Amino acid sequence: MHKIEIKIAKDFVTTPGPRYKKEGSHSGELFRDTILYPKLKEAINENIILQVDLDGTAGYGTSFLEESFGGLIRENNLTIDVINKHLQIISSEEDYLCEDIQHYLEDAESKRKK
Amino acid sequence: MKKYWTTPKYKKQNVRKARRSLNRKLEFKDNVRLKNIKEQRLSKEEKKHKHQFEDKIKDYTKVRAPEDFSFKQNPEKVIQFINKIKGCFDRREKTFVMLESVKKIDYDAIVVLFSIMIRFKSQNIPFNGDFPAENNIRNILTQSGFFKNLLKRNFKDEDRYNVGENDHSLHTHAFKNVDSELSAKIIEQASKTIWGETRRCQGAQRTLLELMQNTNNHASFEKEGDKHWWLSVNHDKTNNRVSFSFVDYGVGVFSSLSNKQEGNKFFNSIEKMIERYKYGNNAELLRLILEGDLHKTVTGEHYRGKGLPGIKEALKRNQISNLVVVTNNVYSNAIDDNYKLLNVNFTGTFINWELNINNISCNA
Repeated sequence: MHKIEIKIAKDFVTTPGPRYKKEGSHSGELFRDTILYPKLKEAINENIILQVDLDGTAGYGTSFLEESFGGLIRENNLTIDVINKHLQIISSEEDYLCEDIQHYLEDAESKRKK
Repeated sequence: MKKYWTTPKYKKQNVRKARRSLNRKLEFKDNVRLKNIKEQRLSKEEKKHKHQFEDKIKDYTKVRAPEDFSFKQNPEKVIQFINKIKGCFDRREKTFVMLESVKKIDYDAIVVLFSIMIRFKSQNIPFNGDFPAENNIRNILTQSGFFKNLLKRNFKDEDRYNVGENDHSLHTHAFKNVDSELSAKIIEQASKTIWGETRRCQGAQRTLLELMQNTNNHASFEKEGDKHWWLSVNHDKTNNRVSFSFVDYGVGVFSSLSNKQEGNKFFNSIEKMIERYKYGNNAELLRLILEGDLHKTVTGEHYRGKGLPGIKEALKRNQISNLVVVTNNVYSNAIDDNYKLLNVNFTGTFINWELNINNISCNA
């Protein structure tokens, strides 16, 4: 399967910020709106994988990650199955982030179902 | 003309004028006499100091700083000091901070002094202070730029403040929003002090981001982004370590939790925690919060690094060191697992931690 790749440090910013645009620069909301969702949509349409590389940044606040990935379900109405099929998260510097993001997705999915 | 001076109307006016003038002279003489009596026992230098300095601040409310001016070591006295100053600020009283008797000062006190000074000055409330008698304390405060800013600089009411000289080891920042670029820059500078090269410290970055986000989202009952956070960073080049002192004068963790409205995920969270853990006081509650149990109880989910538990997790992963938290009536030192109730209430949150050569970091 072909891949599209996003490296947050290169394609977005090395200093990811808060959850919402109103709270400061480089927010998760901005990242999702401008990069993550359009690329994921492209990957879904072309039935390929979007690989998101988290390494190389100064570090992440949890709100940024939750809004970026959980927001795909809350705001962009994607389902966890579709996301898991087309999205691959990688990080060698902070491997626990991949597991955390998976849980953010599951939490958002369970809230959507309610 | 001559005729007028002899009229009863003029005579009466003249007598009245003379009486007033005499009274003024007598009053002045009395004042001088009393002042001389008061100053009888003072030396020439003391008299000079009094005339030059003390008389100018006689209508200020004086607040004495604690002898051991350290939030980490002496939280109750520092909170009492902050509460007194806050009272003066709320009443818009001219305030004079007495630092003369300070015998020991920690860098975490600097963020308190800076934040207090800027809040007063930005609201145009006269604020002043004296110098500590101890030379080393005076040097620390001088190097921090505190006196320079106290005496010379005016502050406007702004969202962002930045004080301290580039060549000094201590810098203080304040803002209302989350600023990831600033935190990354601060950590980059810290890494040069610690490792002698630029490194990335994701745990320290997360700690700063979570704290800024918490202040932005939870420090005020009224609206988000209403309160400043204040951060002082001290570089100890000799021991290759950097300490971070973060403070906000919001409502504090427990007050914030108990005021969450229906619809908020933390609504009724304290009652749920009491029901589940049967804990006795706020000290035990803070321990549960830092361990992530509050989030788990309220949402039924793991906290996944969010907020205060995320900071404790950074400590467990050895990404930061020596974490101390003071909020409302609780002091906690996570390293010693020491959680204790205080006899005074701090309206806000204070967090201090350290980054040193043993902490995990990544190549830039």
